Amino acid sequence: MKVVTVGTGMAAAEFVQRLRLEGLKGPITMIGDEEFPPYSPCVIPFFLAGEPLETVYWKGRDFYERYGVNPLLGDPVTEIDIERRQVRTSGGRIEGYDRLLYATGSRSWYPKPQWLETRGVFGFKTLTDMVAIDRYVRENRITRAVVFGGGFIGVDAALALRHRGLEITLVHRNTRLLSQMTDEEGGRFATAKLKEKTGIDIRLKSTVDAIIADHGQLTGVRFSDDSSMETALLIVSIGVSPNSEPMTGEDRGVAVSAQMLADPSIYCAGDVAVTPHLVDGRDGIYATYPNAMLQARTAARHLMHGDGVYPGSINTNVLKKHIDFPIVSAGSFSGEAVTWEQGDIWRRVYLKDGKINGYLIIGDTRMSGYVYQLYRSQKRVDRSIKAILASPRHDGYYREMLGVRDCGSSVF
Amino acid sequence: MKKVFVDYKKCLACKSCETACAVEQHPSHTLFGALGDTRTQINVRVLGVEHEAFPLSCRHCDPADCLDACPSGAISRDEGSGAVLLNPDLCKACAMCAMVCPFDAIAFKQTHRARYGRDVAYKCDLCNDRIKKGGTPACVEACHSGALVYGDFDRIRGDRAVSGLKCYLLGKHDALPPLVELFRELRRKECLRRRGGE
Repeated sequence: MKVVTVGTGMAAAEFVQRLRLEGLKGPITMIGDEEFPPYSPCVIPFFLAGEPLETVYWKGRDFYERYGVNPLLGDPVTEIDIERRQVRTSGGRIEGYDRLLYATGSRSWYPKPQWLETRGVFGFKTLTDMVAIDRYVRENRITRAVVFGGGFIGVDAALALRHRGLEITLVHRNTRLLSQMTDEEGGRFATAKLKEKTGIDIRLKSTVDAIIADHGQLTGVRFSDDSSMETALLIVSIGVSPNSEPMTGEDRGVAVSAQMLADPSIYCAGDVAVTPHLVDGRDGIYATYPNAMLQARTAARHLMHGDGVYPGSINTNVLKKHIDFPIVSAGSFSGEAVTWEQGDIWRRVYLKDGKINGYLIIGDTRMSGYVYQLYRSQKRVDRSIKAILASPRHDGYYREMLGVRDCGSSVF
Repeated sequence: MKKVFVDYKKCLACKSCETACAVEQHPSHTLFGALGDTRTQINVRVLGVEHEAFPLSCRHCDPADCLDACPSGAISRDEGSGAVLLNPDLCKACAMCAMVCPFDAIAFKQTHRARYGRDVAYKCDLCNDRIKKGGTPACVEACHSGALVYGDFDRIRGDRAVSGLKCYLLGKHDALPPLVELFRELRRKECLRRRGGE
């Protein structure tokens, strides 16, 4: 049986590793548009912040050799012929398959793609982007940057470049940073704290409307309020879209079955797959590493053993990069809000029918695991949640376990 | 597979386990080295809940949520000992692991193993080097009251199968030694007195 993966990202690498560990002997081909061994997108900003490139290859730099993979790199797949069971690449190569894993992930979305033709404008999504930014910053001795887009990737970019010593202006359309993973109040709290702790110049309710260039070299940007700023580096990180066109003709992701099948011989996993949410059942693209892993493993198990079901995705995420100020969130922010705040810490849980519908834990991670388990298991917590959020010693789990509910003093 | 079990009824909150862990994890392997060093790493924490106390640390779950959540390849399992290990060279301190750990067993700081001038995640490694040489974890060796036991997981679970964390708790005999019983009684009274006084 010949297995082909479209994509060399995390889902594809996990899938291939599982197949080999389970004893699949047949040929495996991995086709990717970049030239690298599988790397971790979550880790690559740390390379830009000054840490060794080696650490981005989270399954080892020798992945292809170790797992007997034939890699076809630097040549993206443009078309999948389901009838003939073959894929075609932009370089004209045709590759047949018995089983295909479609795991192409997503790409940056640019409001004005032509900006990228100017030297000094970059996306912030791939290792190719990181290597290019790293070289550009080094060769041109860049000391300041404008990051356009204050979602997860934008904040990640701003923190990484700040850690490297650049002065950062972060421009975001919304009233708060991280608007997708926070509610209004939590997001404002997080934004204010991030500003206070990092000194990043954060411009809210603002966009970059135009770039100023001189002979193809970026020299500045113009904001929506008509003010402008000199900069030789602009990072555009305002959104991503799934690379589903070769499969579906559209960029809305690929619908899959509970076995991660998009077609009887095509599995699909990772940031391109549309899956149901574990708790509320809503279909969507839940682009986090743990979801991608479980999807890849479900697909590999089904290929090898013909069984297994994907239970659903969870939209938990955490942003903690370079500074000790984590922002954790999951679920949806509707229902009865229970909030607790003290100093740098802000916690809120949304309850629906006495169960956790969503939560935000800002400023520290202690207890976030317990709340995560309560959310996942959909336990009734309406009686205990206040005490859990307010417990100064983060012992909610152990109280529950010992049956000691009161939050009185302790003798220790 | 062997694990560290906690019989919280026997824990006297003496924190010998914390001290032993600090010494074991410190590069100098001495108490004087570990004392006052901000980079000292302590992987076990004695938690007091009302009149109960127990040492909590990584349970080396199988399957482990932290291992499945780590996007940098830093967390792995030693298939021989069953220990869930964290490689600080690969760790980016992104907190994906801490976000899902129900036991609050992963913390962050700049330890002696941190390589890049920033914090890393740290957690109990089950004293993997010691147990692979046939020894017991330092915390267990240091525990005077028998609250920490390094024993076979499957057998204990078979003997005392209860839900949730309770399956990790070990109480071979319900009867406690008289002194421990007395200590618990005093602690319970003290706890009640303090609460009454508030």
